[in-house]
Amino acid sequence: MPNQCRLLILLCLVSGNLRGQVLDATSENQEAFFRRQVLPIFEAHCYPCHAHNSGQIEGGLALDWRSGWELGGTRGPAVVPGRPEQSLLIRAIEHTDPELQMPAEPLPREHIALLKEWVQRGAWDDRQTAPQPTEDPLDWWSLRPLVSPKIPSAPASHPIDAFIQARLDENRLTHSPPASPRALIRRLYYDLLGFPPSPEDVARFVADPSDAAYERLVDRLLASERYGERWARHWLDTIHFAESHGYEHDIGRDHAWPYRDYVIGALNDDVPWATFVRQQLAVDWFWPESTELLPALGFLAAGTFDLSTYSTGPVTFDYLDRDDMVHQTMSAFVSSTVNCARCHNHKFDPVAQEDYYALQAVFAGILKGDIPYDTDSLAARTRSQLENELRAIKDLDRQMLFSADAQQRVATWLDNHHSATPWSPLRLQSFASTDGSILTHTEEDRIVVSGPNPETDTYILAGKISIPRLSALRLELFPDPSLPMQGPGRCHNGNLHLSEIKVLLFAPQAQTAQELRLVHASADFNQEGWGVERAMDGDPKTAWGIFPEVGKPHTAIFELHESTIIPDGSTITIQLQQLHGGSHLIGSFRLSMIDAPSAAIRPMPAYIEAALQQPAENRSDQQKLQIAAHVLTQDVEQRLAALPARRSVYAAGPLVQIPAGNGNFQEARRATPKPVHLLQRGEMSKPLHEVFPGTFAISPNLPSRFVLDATEDAQDASATESWRRAALAQWIAHPDNPLTWRSIVNRVWHYHFGRGLCATPNDFGRMGDSPSHPELMDWLAIWFRDTAGGSLKRLHRLIVTSRTYRQSSEVRGDAASLDNENRLLWRQHRRRLDAESYRDSVLVVSGQIDWMMGGASNPNFQQSPGAQLTPSLDYHSYDWSLPGARRRSIYRYVWRGIPDPLMAALDFPDLGLLAPVRGESSSPLQSLSLYNHPFVLFHSQAMATNLAAEHPTVSDQITAAIERLYQRSPKSEELTRFEEFAQRMEIAAFCRVLLNSTEFLFIE
Amino acid sequence: MQRRRDLPLDPSRRQSMLSAGSGFAALALGQLLLRDDHLPATEQPRPQVRRVIQLFMTGGASPMDTFDYKPELERLHGQMLGPKEKPEGFTAPAGAIMKSPFEFAQHGQSGRWVSSLFPEQAMLVDEMAFLMAMTTKTNVHGPGTYMMNSGFLLPGFPCLGAWVSYALGNLTDNLPTFVVLPDPRGLPYNQKGCFSAGFLPAVHEGVVIDAAARNPVPDLTADPRFEFTGAQQDREGLRLLAEINQAYAAKHPADPRLDARIASYELAAKLQLSAPEAFNLADETELTSRLYGLDQSITQDFGRRCLLARRLIERGVRFVQVWSGPQGATNNWDNHGSIPNELPPMAASVDRPIAALLRDLKNRGLDRDTLVIWTTEFGRTPFAQGGTGRDHNGGSFVTWLWGAGIKPGVTYGKSDDWGYQAVEQKTWCYDLHATILHLLGIDHLELTVRHNGIDRRLTDVHGHVIHDILSS
Repeated sequence: MPNQCRLLILLCLVSGNLRGQVLDATSENQEAFFRRQVLPIFEAHCYPCHAHNSGQIEGGLALDWRSGWELGGTRGPAVVPGRPEQSLLIRAIEHTDPELQMPAEPLPREHIALLKEWVQRGAWDDRQTAPQPTEDPLDWWSLRPLVSPKIPSAPASHPIDAFIQARLDENRLTHSPPASPRALIRRLYYDLLGFPPSPEDVARFVADPSDAAYERLVDRLLASERYGERWARHWLDTIHFAESHGYEHDIGRDHAWPYRDYVIGALNDDVPWATFVRQQLAVDWFWPESTELLPALGFLAAGTFDLSTYSTGPVTFDYLDRDDMVHQTMSAFVSSTVNCARCHNHKFDPVAQEDYYALQAVFAGILKGDIPYDTDSLAARTRSQLENELRAIKDLDRQMLFSADAQQRVATWLDNHHSATPWSPLRLQSFASTDGSILTHTEEDRIVVSGPNPETDTYILAGKISIPRLSALRLELFPDPSLPMQGPGRCHNGNLHLSEIKVLLFAPQAQTAQELRLVHASADFNQEGWGVERAMDGDPKTAWGIFPEVGKPHTAIFELHESTIIPDGSTITIQLQQLHGGSHLIGSFRLSMIDAPSAAIRPMPAYIEAALQQPAENRSDQQKLQIAAHVLTQDVEQRLAALPARRSVYAAGPLVQIPAGNGNFQEARRATPKPVHLLQRGEMSKPLHEVFPGTFAISPNLPSRFVLDATEDAQDASATESWRRAALAQWIAHPDNPLTWRSIVNRVWHYHFGRGLCATPNDFGRMGDSPSHPELMDWLAIWFRDTAGGSLKRLHRLIVTSRTYRQSSEVRGDAASLDNENRLLWRQHRRRLDAESYRDSVLVVSGQIDWMMGGASNPNFQQSPGAQLTPSLDYHSYDWSLPGARRRSIYRYVWRGIPDPLMAALDFPDLGLLAPVRGESSSPLQSLSLYNHPFVLFHSQAMATNLAAEHPTVSDQITAAIERLYQRSPKSEELTRFEEFAQRMEIAAFCRVLLNSTEFLFIE
Repeated sequence: MQRRRDLPLDPSRRQSMLSAGSGFAALALGQLLLRDDHLPATEQPRPQVRRVIQLFMTGGASPMDTFDYKPELERLHGQMLGPKEKPEGFTAPAGAIMKSPFEFAQHGQSGRWVSSLFPEQAMLVDEMAFLMAMTTKTNVHGPGTYMMNSGFLLPGFPCLGAWVSYALGNLTDNLPTFVVLPDPRGLPYNQKGCFSAGFLPAVHEGVVIDAAARNPVPDLTADPRFEFTGAQQDREGLRLLAEINQAYAAKHPADPRLDARIASYELAAKLQLSAPEAFNLADETELTSRLYGLDQSITQDFGRRCLLARRLIERGVRFVQVWSGPQGATNNWDNHGSIPNELPPMAASVDRPIAALLRDLKNRGLDRDTLVIWTTEFGRTPFAQGGTGRDHNGGSFVTWLWGAGIKPGVTYGKSDDWGYQAVEQKTWCYDLHATILHLLGIDHLELTVRHNGIDRRLTDVHGHVIHDILSS
């Protein structure tokens, strides 16, 4: 019975409570209080993370219906009606419990008071059902599957014009008349190539502006290599490509340019879009043999690199660096702002927070830095074979080392070795040091060094040799009781550092000395990080050392590139530069020469020497293996060295050399991808479960989580990470991904009209712009994907041959009153030259342009050491007559954090972030730059000189200038005025005015 | 400018025009239409602050050796009480607790503790409002300096000065709106990233002024080695340019960008005329020069730039940024090696100039609408690094504000007993920026630009105006 009693009492309490609520005389007030005061607080501050329609129910707690807070989340009921002090919700918003503080930004005090009052008064809440999602998240113009729209039936014969005209008709608007031939050819040149046509090109087209002639012109321009140079920069903007790290240590990336050349090449070759996607994300997976394409991976490394955080805050670095790659990849290829889902599910688009971290996991196995690659894929194959052989040799693989072929090579080597001629010492005639060390000649042609012990020194020795040819020289170091730690160095620890060795041949009767080129160095011992090759690498900052093997003799051998004839009576001079400092100087040594194959002379480890001294029949099996390994190693290394040199590209991969300033690099390796965790509210201190590679769900045909295909070579592939990137590339490049195809046609449209059909090229989500012509966009996307096979050139051709593209850009009052923004395209847009087009055009019209393609970027600044690793750049003192100064702007060295003031004044973007759209500002500071910048003035002068050379009279010079800049002839009253000006002020002053004029800076 | 006065341009329209990002007319009009005397009179009451000077101590100025007195450090000196594992962004494991090597004393009515490093500022503490519990998200210079200037750890976002220029435009046609005076020994961390307009139109970028150069404003005049750029050719060239640009605009009507270009050259000419005068410190009195410390080598450079800041503000520049110290291992506030050796010369180089600047602004009545902010990217550890240095610490640092709209002599926030972490009234860059914008008459929630799918604000999704330090 007592139990029953208790139950009854409980029931009474509960029902009493309920009755209290329902029958409360003030329930109307309660309702008003809830709706007007309480609900708005929930909606504004709690729903973003705790509501069905936000797609986010953090901690399992939903606050958008009554049962949500009654049941509560993982911590239990959130509200105890009538008991604010027991309600988790109230504790959370009061921020009294350090473990439970919600929202992160404290609510205003008055809001907290209102919620407490609501709980105190019984937590009236009549929201009885959980809200249903109001909208299918995939029901959005950019996410819907691509379905070919019907081309509107219009008199227009061109599909683009049909779509445009249909909308114009609806709004009682009409296309504008065609642009004049002169305006049209100018527009086309700028759009496709980025500079104006020559007066001859203009004259030819004006004489025959027929459709056929126009189409021939379009084809000619699209076939020009200048096209790739023009359009590459658009893509580089989109992905914030620059050639320095940004942030605190804004270090240059001298090997970023191969990626830029890759983009130019891919555009000129019209690589299909899907291929372009796959190459940039995972060329190493899809085309591992085509090593020459490796620079495509520069895509992933286009953005910033925070070296300081990389060094001191590795966890922070990883999440932020991957964020940059994710953001860039998804913005550039699918116009999606997935990075908005870093702290919570995307508020507007169907990207869950988990999806965002799945995308981070795609990039969890790569780092950014220089990666060597073979520009010749055949060499790459050979290199890979030889490297495999080296590994087998190192593992003392019996099968390989005892193979007939290998034993044959060993036998030959042993023959050479035994028949080797002896070394002949350099018979010294003079020897001295530049900084005060005293060199003394002792027995057996040795030198012992004594006397003052300078920080650095260079020994210079000259003498004769008795052999007719020379292929190598040997530097022997000896211990000596006079030296610290017995030497052989003069440093307190017995060490030495040989920075560079130089060998000069003075033939009798020769006017000058000949420096003999060294190609290989070897030594019996190399100090860690101080290998002997550093003594002949041309860099005085690096050197050979022998620590800790002091007190012992050592040998280094330097080989010439070929056996060189030494004419009788020649003198050989040898410089031993020891520039490291700290008296790392040689204490006792001897120099000798030889002409012999390298196999016979290279120093060998002591155990090989010992093995060789045994009669062949006495050698143990192990010794035979070691000898074979020694011989074959030399052999393979020689063949490796003979391969064409590799190039480096700043790109992304599991093993990279990070540019670390002053020509130094930090090696970085990711043996396996790092685990990626979902971060609660994006906070690095709050990692939740691990997330695996994937992306967001967009279509049933496109899985949003990636797994390695079992049919692939799992062993090999799981050891690498490239399959993750490859899977994302497949998702993006898939024909059923509607975003990809809409995104690229919109980008191309944007650059032809100054604005995309969707005005936010990087955001096709609910926060972005809605397209002005959605059917046209879909039609173009499908046509581009299927009919054009992803060919950008065919897309350009389609667009620029439309009437819509070719119409005049003049504003018509009637149309402007209806559609001032010209979203319906009743005219073409008048556009200002972007920074590159301006700079390139100046070079073209001044007759100075250098059309050289590709290769390392040209700095348009003087560089000097800065306060720390970032150099100091001086743009204003740059000499514009230097070679390279006249190349196209795409070959400029673009320093992220220290922009070129002239280009910045013309709206070259801040490449800390993606720049899918350029600004078109004008300001007094821009005017000052255009009027006074040395580049403009230099080329005003150059143009004047160039005009004078071609045209004898001022009048002709003026006419030619106007033709070059404006693609027309001067009117007679203009000519009179300009002549009058030029007579008094010089032609250069006139050119300066023209290079500032609106007609030059705007494209009709 | 006169002829544009009739064009209505309310702030919301300005925003919608500019936020489209795709440019065209709106962008081209640029700052020509953005002067605040063009705003309709219906706008809110005149803001208290119309101009700002931001003094930025590069490297992370130590709070516990300047304004944040911590007697507890004396008691615990030498004890190993810091974190066992190196926190992210520390450059070395934490050493022992280290007391400040400098004497502290209380000053003014407010009784603020100030160390012996700042004797001049100590006399003015009753005029300042101190934020004693500033905190940030990073212990690394690059992201930290970005954060205090743009509100984001990442590059590419507009800095405070650029937002102010974007929101309010200029006060004069004769000088740039946003001027930066970097340390002549080198740029701060992030190079020019902290003066950047980010995704705002390029016109809002900070103009770096080198007062000692022939061209203090870049390209103010032509290099005389180009012989065709003499005064007469310059003038007549501009006249011809105006003619042909006008003819072009007339032929292509209804495109305001074409008119904007004509106006830009007119304004450029005005700037050419007025800039040299603004940058010429020679017409200051000897007394003023001495006041700013121009007569002493240690204060000469920063003093000159503070004086220049006053001249620019006086002539209508909206926002001036003055940097103390370049990036790098020396000559700044990043005192890893030795607080007793490295900090005093830095402190001495700014103390007198700053005090002079505040007194001078006041004497000229400029304090009525000028705000001065002293800040840095983060604080330093209460633990020693090496022997007597201090490492980076984003946990707590100090900022002060002075001038129009500021409640004098107040303190807001408190750090823990070591000065390691902010504990009471924690203040983020978001709150500081929200407060500055508020003083300028701008609601930080309203000042937004749509960029790549997000309505971006200087204050991200955070920020509370700190009413406790405001006079009204």
